[in-house]
Amino acid sequence: MNLIDVYIHEVTRRLPEKSREDIGLELKSSIEDMLPEGHSEKDIKQVLDQLGNPATLASNYSDRPMHLIGPKYFDLYISFLKMIVPIAAVIALISVAATQFLAFERGDTVLNVALDIFVLSIWRIIEVFIQVFFWLTVMFAIVERVDGIKDNQPRTMSLNKWTSDDLKNIVYIPKKRAISKRYIFVSLLWTAIWATFYFFASHLVGVYEKTDEGLTFIMPSLNQDVLNSFSSLVVIVIGAEIALALYQLFKGQWTKKVAMLNVLREVIGSIVLIIVIIHPNLFNPDFLTYLADNFTISSEDVRKFIIMAVMLFPIFSIWNCVDGFRKANSR
Amino acid sequence: MSNLLDSLSTELRRGTLTLAVLSQLQTQQYGYSLVQSLEGSGVTIEQSTLYPLLRRLEKQQLVESSWDTTEARPRKYYILTDYGLEVYKELKNEWLSNSKQLYKLLKGDGLSEFD
Repeated sequence: MNLIDVYIHEVTRRLPEKSREDIGLELKSSIEDMLPEGHSEKDIKQVLDQLGNPATLASNYSDRPMHLIGPKYFDLYISFLKMIVPIAAVIALISVAATQFLAFERGDTVLNVALDIFVLSIWRIIEVFIQVFFWLTVMFAIVERVDGIKDNQPRTMSLNKWTSDDLKNIVYIPKKRAISKRYIFVSLLWTAIWATFYFFASHLVGVYEKTDEGLTFIMPSLNQDVLNSFSSLVVIVIGAEIALALYQLFKGQWTKKVAMLNVLREVIGSIVLIIVIIHPNLFNPDFLTYLADNFTISSEDVRKFIIMAVMLFPIFSIWNCVDGFRKANSR
Repeated sequence: MSNLLDSLSTELRRGTLTLAVLSQLQTQQYGYSLVQSLEGSGVTIEQSTLYPLLRRLEKQQLVESSWDTTEARPRKYYILTDYGLEVYKELKNEWLSNSKQLYKLLKGDGLSEFD
């Protein structure tokens, strides 16, 4: 077995077909030049060691990049990834929630549905992340290879070289005024949670007791018919909350206008909350009696305590409104 | 420190290799003779870098090549083209003025050991 020929084959098999023969011949003559007269295998090995890894040598010959995504596109690639993954995750979550809520209507237990949503959501998010990651990487790897322009200038979102004009497209947001994506996510999540509890109160809100089969729902706290009679008002509140969250996402920072709309949302929310909570038939009488027996007070007192506790929410609202203006005014 | 030093000095040398190779190709040379004449002047170059570099220079039309098959061992010879000679001269002037500037900088650094 001839080490030199094997080495040359190892180099040329990595090269484009048309240049293989020429490079092979040149390498062979160069290697032979390097060998002393009457050389041994040891000499050959020494020379080949000097030439180094055939893969490296071949990559020096070829113009193709030795990386999947190079510095030219890396920043753009990461930006796209950061932009697309959250959007795809939210869409996946919404679809999971929508399909699972239908399970409620079929009369599944609360715990089951909650667990299903939780597990499925995590799976879906992992799945979506892998999909986005894979396709985006493939796309950029292809762009890296077909890109005919041989400069190494990193690309911006406009796919061109960076110029100072790009700065005009960036909205500068001071940190104190910024509305974080997490804030928006939490407020949307909060809306989704309370809306779920509101419309499925007869399944979710009530007394649970521990039995052999785990937690069992004994009685609802609220009268679902009363809740449903306010549904158009509540839909307005949900709409206002989602609209404000999207507006905040779009603005990205606290301004006077955002703070004012925030106040409007809190006012609508608080008014509807008060209207609903003081409805005389809101609470399930069985539930009030159940609590009254446990605490040895009258069921009317129980109702008053609950209403007082719920009234703490508007206090949070006031704090939230003030905080909005404080942030809007900070520099 | 020695690893860092190695990579820094490799980086320093990398840009000069093209110039070193061009300087030797005013007369016709084949791969190994080029290695020897460079090493004779104290310039070490990885052969795994040199041969691909020659091919790249040919693609850029700075050098041209021809096979000599008259001898027992066929050899590929390289020589500067007219265009290559022009580029070489420009590059050489560029290098000389750069190294003069750098020399001045280094001389004024306070820990001078220049002769």
